[in-house]
Amino acid sequence: MLQFIVRRILWAIPVLLAVTFFTFALVRAIPGGPFDFAGDRSLPPSVVANLEAKYHLSDPLWQQFCSYLIGDTVCRPGDDSGRASKGVLLGDLGPSFRYRGRTVNDIIATALPISFQLGMMAMMLGIGIGIPFGVLAALKHNTWIDYSATLVAILGVSVSNVVLGPVLIWFFALKLGWFPVATWAAEPLFSGIADKYIAASEQIPMWVNIIPKPTVDFFMHAALPVFALGTALSATIARMTRGSLLQVIREDYIRTARSKGLRERAVVVRHALKNSLIPVVTILGPMFAGVLTGTFVIELIFAIPGLGRHFVNSIGNRDYPVVLGTTLLYGVAIVIANMLVDITYAWLDPRVRLE
Amino acid sequence: MATLLEVKGLETQFFTQDGVVHAVNGISYTLDEGETLAIVGESGCGKSVGVMSLIRLIPIPPGKVVAGEVWFDGKDLLKLSDDEIRQVRGNRIAMIFQDPMTSLNPVLTIGKQLTEAMQLHLGMDKEQARKRAVELLELVGIPGADKRLDEYPHQFSGGMRQRVMIAMGLSCNPQLLIADEPTTALDVTIQAQIVDLVKELKEKIGMAIIWITHDLGVVAGIAERVIVMYAGLIVEEAEVHDLYGKPLHPYTLGLLKSMPRLDLGKDAKLIPIEGLPPDLVDFPEGCPFAARCKYRVDRCFTENPPIEYVTPTHRVACWRWEAVHEELKANGGSHD
Repeated sequence: MLQFIVRRILWAIPVLLAVTFFTFALVRAIPGGPFDFAGDRSLPPSVVANLEAKYHLSDPLWQQFCSYLIGDTVCRPGDDSGRASKGVLLGDLGPSFRYRGRTVNDIIATALPISFQLGMMAMMLGIGIGIPFGVLAALKHNTWIDYSATLVAILGVSVSNVVLGPVLIWFFALKLGWFPVATWAAEPLFSGIADKYIAASEQIPMWVNIIPKPTVDFFMHAALPVFALGTALSATIARMTRGSLLQVIREDYIRTARSKGLRERAVVVRHALKNSLIPVVTILGPMFAGVLTGTFVIELIFAIPGLGRHFVNSIGNRDYPVVLGTTLLYGVAIVIANMLVDITYAWLDPRVRLE
Repeated sequence: MATLLEVKGLETQFFTQDGVVHAVNGISYTLDEGETLAIVGESGCGKSVGVMSLIRLIPIPPGKVVAGEVWFDGKDLLKLSDDEIRQVRGNRIAMIFQDPMTSLNPVLTIGKQLTEAMQLHLGMDKEQARKRAVELLELVGIPGADKRLDEYPHQFSGGMRQRVMIAMGLSCNPQLLIADEPTTALDVTIQAQIVDLVKELKEKIGMAIIWITHDLGVVAGIAERVIVMYAGLIVEEAEVHDLYGKPLHPYTLGLLKSMPRLDLGKDAKLIPIEGLPPDLVDFPEGCPFAARCKYRVDRCFTENPPIEYVTPTHRVACWRWEAVHEELKANGGSHD
């Protein structure tokens, strides 16, 4: 197990290097640059040249890539601007070109916990609704329960969040006034405790922000976006669970279990469910990685300051370090999610050996 | 011997998009306590569906037992509630299946699969059930039983898995063991081992057995009585030596002639039964075997012969059984 994890992490290194390289190349291949516009005015060429020189954009590309990867001290000796990057390998994702004075690490540290909270709750809701409804639909195959669950699932998959989000806001926030219209209201659970141990000068580490204080305000704000995102996820999960369970329930070993005189519940729970979750887990991995690192549409509609918008806006802004940083973060999330998927396989199916 | 099981006019159909499949079309037979009965016939003749109908293992829908009675232990199994039939399944009547590779759950240990019926039916706790599971595995000839209980099916060979299936079937001391082609998926040497094992266990335990197969060679070694099925009907039933020595139905004769035999020398040819079994959706009028039968007369195409006793232990459903009998006698009583 430990050997498997270590090997997986070692394998992830070339993958992430390749991701870095190709993203770097692709984003530089897009026409235009980060300083073409400021607001809706274009900047004079001399200012652009100054800014590009400040961020070393006039250097040869190989040197830029080199210093992005392993830091200015190695690739740009003699830089004494005081803003020398330590390089991605040491966890320094560089400065943002658009958000003056903020580093990409800063942006991720403030935005990721919010997306993570939203994504985590949405996943829990998605799994919590999706798997039971999928099982129910499969067990009541070809009855009205199955048909209505399938109908709801198809609706959930096909009604976009662009539609569902505003409808929820209009009905539950504006008409009924049960929930706030938008924004996020998370206070770090450990902020008081952490303050005692972290010197004021130091930056508050990200993990402090990830776990929210479970206040009423927090959950009221979270309700609508979590519902919108969670139901969309649950639709996919339910369809997958239903299909998979219907297949498993026809297996010979299910007949064997029935021939022993087990109750239908025991047959399903003990003999069918574990087998049928294997394909479901496969889709949960990438889903997890995608949702936890931020969802553009939901965060935009509910004005949640998560990471989702940085994925999209940074490309329009040609904010190269943010594009690279978010892409890399997503890459890391995918690698970890797939590793967890494989570990779950081994737990579900004894024929899978982690080697 | 007392009668253990009495099947009367059992009819099972499957309601599919292509129409109603007449899988079992009114079969009746009895089984005594401790007796071994073989049911033979080619693929799709309703053997498996016929026995699965007994303990209501037919998937509903699309399948349905549309008529008949199954008397076991003074009760009609077809009229029991779901709870009551579950107390019979795996307890009084156990079943082992054709393919041991797919009939065991790949994600549960052998021990768990072996003990769950005992915990359910015999009210044993985990420890007692495990102790008995070890005994059962030893009984069916699996060495190192205690360790192997914690292993998974993929760690067992095909023959070993079928032994596990047999152990599972025997776990609650059933009065009837239904073996649905238990040797078909195994190679010949393993087949022989499994047949010997079941014979030996039967002597020790004394349960009745219904053994389904399409292999007449296996039947000779294990059964006392044989039922031959064709197109969902019983076409002949006889004691095992009568069936081999004096077959009366042209189909039985065809099966025997198509069987390879060591005693006939290597030049002897196998004679196949020409044609295919009838479509069970569009069931033919008259005898279902008529189209493939050498002995057929006009009547065979219009009237389906009822099954009738020719001797007290031998019954056959054929208008022309006397012709079959005469021809065999003329050939010196042998169907070679």
